[in-house]
Parts: sequence; C-alpha cells; structure tokens
Amino acid sequence: MLWYKAWLETRSRFLLSLIGMVVLCSVFVLHGDRTVIYDVAADYYNYVFFFCHQILAMMWVLAVTLSMMGGLLRERATGSSAFTLALPVNRTRLMMVRICTGLIQAVALAIVPWMAMFSVGSIFGKTHSISQAAFYLVLLLGGGALFFGIAVLVSSLISGEYTAPVVSFGAVIVTAVALSTVRLRPYSPWGFMTGSEYLNRQTGLLTWPIPWLQTAIYILLAGLLLAISFQLIKRQEF
Amino acid sequence: MTNGRVIETERLGKSYGRIEAVKELNLSIRPHCITAFLGLNGAGKSTTIKMLLGMIRPSSGDGTVLGQRISNPIEGVRLRTQIAYVSENKRLYDYMTVDQMIRFTRAFYSDWRPDEEQKLLRQFRLPLDRKVKSLSKGMRTKLGLLMAFARRPELLILDEPSEGLDPVGIEELLEILIARCSDGTTVFFSSHQIAEVERIADQICILHAGRLVLDSSLDDLRQSYRRINLVFPSIPAEHHFRIAGVQDVRTRGHQMSVLASSNAEGVVARAQDFHADSIDVAPVELRDIFLEKVKED
Repeated sequence: MLWYKAWLETRSRFLLSLIGMVVLCSVFVLHGDRTVIYDVAADYYNYVFFFCHQILAMMWVLAVTLSMMGGLLRERATGSSAFTLALPVNRTRLMMVRICTGLIQAVALAIVPWMAMFSVGSIFGKTHSISQAAFYLVLLLGGGALFFGIAVLVSSLISGEYTAPVVSFGAVIVTAVALSTVRLRPYSPWGFMTGSEYLNRQTGLLTWPIPWLQTAIYILLAGLLLAISFQLIKRQEF
Repeated sequence: MTNGRVIETERLGKSYGRIEAVKELNLSIRPHCITAFLGLNGAGKSTTIKMLLGMIRPSSGDGTVLGQRISNPIEGVRLRTQIAYVSENKRLYDYMTVDQMIRFTRAFYSDWRPDEEQKLLRQFRLPLDRKVKSLSKGMRTKLGLLMAFARRPELLILDEPSEGLDPVGIEELLEILIARCSDGTTVFFSSHQIAEVERIADQICILHAGRLVLDSSLDDLRQSYRRINLVFPSIPAEHHFRIAGVQDVRTRGHQMSVLASSNAEGVVARAQDFHADSIDVAPVELRDIFLEKVKED
C-alpha cells in the first residue's frame, strides 16, 4: 500500500508533466524545422531530433525535481508525518518505495516523450533511427540520475514547499554553469544528458559508442546522494 | 509486557539541543484501564507519546511498551502493529479521499474489523468520496479515530483525541473509549479537557516541564485530596500549616485555604489549636489538583 500512497501523492505532478512533455516534444518534432537553425550540411531531421532532445532534457529535469519534492520532511511540514511514522513500517522502506516510484516515473518521463517524438516523426515522414533514440535515452537517464539524486537529497534536507524545489533547481543550474567551461565540459552531467558532447555536427547524429563508463559514474554518484539521503532521514527527528 | 505493565519507562529523557523536553520519566501503566496523561502545552506529553511509539529516539533512559523496547527500531515496527494511535494534529494525507485513506490504513493491520469500520462510518457520518483536505478539523479527527477504533489493538494511544469535536462527538468518543476499555483494550490518552478526564479515567498522570509530578488512580485522588477552608479570628502564619501532606496554603484576610493530598485530619487539628471559627473540609476536583501540580514556583 505504500506504493499506492506514493502513486496518489505524485500522480497529478507526474501525469501533468508527462502530458506536457509528450505534447511539447511532438509539437517540436513537427514544427522544429521552422526554429532550428543549422549551419552545416546535415541530415536535417537528425538535427531536429537533437534540438527536441535538448528541450526534453530541460523539461525532464524540471519534472523529476518537482516529482521528488515530498517525503517525510515535507510531511512533517504539513503535519502528516506523525500518521506515516505511526505505521508499522520502518523509515528505510518508506524512503525506498518513494525513490522507486520516482525512478519508475523518471524512466517513463524519458521513454514516453521519446516514443511520442519517434511515432509522430515516423507518421509525418520525419524518420529517425531507433539506435540513436536509445543512445539519447541512455544519456538522458545516465546524466539525469545525478539530478534525480540531487532532488532526493534536497527533499531530505529542506521541507519548504517552495524552498526545496528552488534550492534543487539552483543546484542543477550551479552544476551546469560551473561545469560549462571548455576544460570541465566533458565532466558536465548537463552536457552529457543533452548529448551535445557526442553530436557529430556534420551528420546531426550521436557518435558511437555509448559512454557506459561515464553513465556508470553518474549513476554511482546518484547512488551516493541517495545513500546520504537515507541516512539523513533515518537520523531526522520528527 | 514487563511486570504486567503495558507501558514501563525508566528515567526516560528527550533533549532537543539544550532544551530538555522530557526528564527522567518513570511511567508505569496498568493494563485494561484508561490512563489520562495531563499537562500544560509544551509539558512534553506529545514527545513522550512519540517516544513510546518508537517514532523518536530517547536521549536517555529506555522503556518498554507491550514488552517491546522503544529504543529498538525493529521492535518499534512490531510494536506499532499492536498499537492504534491518533496524533495530536490529526493531519492526514490531503491528496487522498476518506475511502482511500481507510483502504490504505487497513492494509497494514491484521486486526482490522470491517464491521466496526462500517459501524463507525455510519456513526461519524464521514463522506467516503470527499478529499481529506476538504474535511473540517472535526471530520479529520473523526477519520483519525475511525482508523484507530476500527481495529482491535492491545493499546490505544490518543493525543488529545477530542480536539475539534463538537459536544456530541466528544460524547461518542468517551462512550467508545469506555467500551473499548471494558473489552480489554488499554487506553492511554492526553487531554486538556479535565471534565472529560474525570468522567472516564482510572489513572491520572500529570507531566509538568517534562517531569512526572503525579501518578495516581482517580479514586485515590478523590479519597485522599481535601480542600480545608478555615476562618480565624486572627490569622496564623502559613508555615504552621505546612505539615506533612499539605500541598498548598493560601491566606486572604481572615480566611485560609489548605490543599492536602493526605492528613486532612492533621490540618483540622492544627486549625483547632489556633481556635478557628470555621472549619470546612471538602473533596477536591481534579482541576484543582491539576492547577496545583502545574503552578509555577
């Protein structure tokens, strides 16, 4: 039933985000050719998909951050934490269910809009390769894992309804800006998840192979942030 | 249970930084009775209750509830399957409906009684399809009580359960508490409503500034506490009346009022020694005892 609670708690945010992302991504695929300015001879629609993925990555970070705002600390602020903590469940399980629900939603928020983009593109003759779409998804979810971890950590530290997302977005922006210099750009999770580090500007395609090592590093870092969040919640006085 | 006690704490303490919310608390609660836990706001009642439920860790001391150690998180989870609890603020999940809230809660407890749930739903007239956030405070309290009373727990812990209820709701609550106690459930509740406490409690515990200042049965309190009102032709010094058993002495003009937890006859004898014009010995209400116990020195 904790899954049921986690779903009821996040479903409005999740469904609104999902619908918004699907609609916007589909619109961008259909009309992106009017806005994308390309300076090289490339397969035009590959570039459109790259452009759409940038928009998707931004919306994904926004949606995942908002979806992970909640949990015991927020419940303490709203007063319902006493009820939750009186249930015969330990805090680790409460946290685990919330994070797993968030992960499933985060994956859905990446896959479903990409499927929509792919389908809309195919229907209207703007085809794209499945392997390239999979590449984009690995980058989005690998780099995005770090931002997911940041959102969980912030929600385990700050209870404010508005403060927590503001701090979380602040952390995302600081990370993106601090690692945007030429020397540090290869380490930027933002550059990683948007695929800009792997784009071949001649073809508009991502350059193989998939950077599994970097993906694993971002996931490990996210795991570390989640482990810290678990400890914080376990020690928190409610 | 240890020594046949449902709740047993030994030098239980909780500090938040430099603030000691609960100090060396020794509680011993008998089974199958209604114990009222009284105290001013901020006395440490809710903190104590949260420690008893294993929701917060004690800073010092330890205790057992239904034989489970409250400082052990694993035993705490087991303990919470045997206890029904209604929190002080009665806040539930705003995003759920009444029906969803009930379905969610009953999944955690094997002692849930669907027949009792239906009976209470009718009695409390709770709208199943209404979102919790749109319920009034009284309705939220009733929903919290329903989720506690629809079970058959060994122990009911209620933190100010009548808060937000109208007089009819309070009456229903008191009747349910008495019925549950006669069914063998131990009830431990905190309250500010002394009149309610006097009607149903068997045992009284008063907490003041984190310390237990009174732990007695209501019958014993009624039998032993006396207010002795005296009128003297010439008022004697108060210290003559501060004898064993005397809790408080107040003088006003030629009148003296003595509150004694025992030894009322000693006070009467002393008054006769000082040639009192009038001696009136009266039983004391719980309210007077409470006010006496929580008065600031």
